[in-house]
Amino acid sequence: MIEIQHLENWLLSRGEPTERLLTEVKVQLDTDLKQKAQWQDKTYQIIKAYGRQQLREEVTAIEQKMLSAPKYRSFRERILSIFKK
Amino acid sequence: MTTVDIAEAPTREAIITGWYERVFPRVCQYLHKRGRSLDDARELFQEAVVLYYEKLVSQNSEVASNDEAYLMGIVKKLWLKQLNSERKKENLDGIDFSDTKEPEPSVLRILEFLKQTGAKCMNLLQAFYYDNSSMKEISSQFGFGSERSATVQKYKCLEKVRNSVKQKSLEYEDFLD
Repeated sequence: MIEIQHLENWLLSRGEPTERLLTEVKVQLDTDLKQKAQWQDKTYQIIKAYGRQQLREEVTAIEQKMLSAPKYRSFRERILSIFKK
Repeated sequence: MTTVDIAEAPTREAIITGWYERVFPRVCQYLHKRGRSLDDARELFQEAVVLYYEKLVSQNSEVASNDEAYLMGIVKKLWLKQLNSERKKENLDGIDFSDTKEPEPSVLRILEFLKQTGAKCMNLLQAFYYDNSSMKEISSQFGFGSERSATVQKYKCLEKVRNSVKQKSLEYEDFLD
């Protein structure tokens, strides 16, 4: 766990600066560790894309509810009237 | 101003619903005057909500009292970006507009794989890295006995997903670009 944690601190600029500097040196010297860092960086991109996708699904569900549920009828009519003008 | 944790799901739904009630009609009027359809308004507003949410969680900010102005500002920027087909990076109070494109097909395939094989891990990682929730909140949300247990599990998940990303990425050439 320590290795992945140190890579995280280095990649995301967290934790102690001295620890990050040491990790950077290790990454430069160790090809295997460098590859792990690259994959970990890609993994953060994937997690962001996943989070964004989940949020979009949630927003779409809220929007659909507001444009179709009886509770929001006046809201829907207000929106539709804007585009009928 | 009352502190609200927008990353907490019930709160998030209520806040987003409020944005739709208060801001979406203005967005529709703004875009209708510029010849755009309801579908365009839905698409742009959804994008604005995502960007504003990301700004709030990344900066640990509270929902601003002038959130309507913020959201309208983002919508106008997105509309101009769409109009001018701008490619260059633009910023509005720390919001990165260059980053809104759909993921590459290879990323979508990896996401689908991870959803099917490890949704629990992905949800935990999302809570920490995307929603910026604290380990205390995550412990409670996912039922861990302590923050330490949650932290250990977070790194186990990260390692597992890192291995999956590596394995699946090597199958999809465009991911490495």
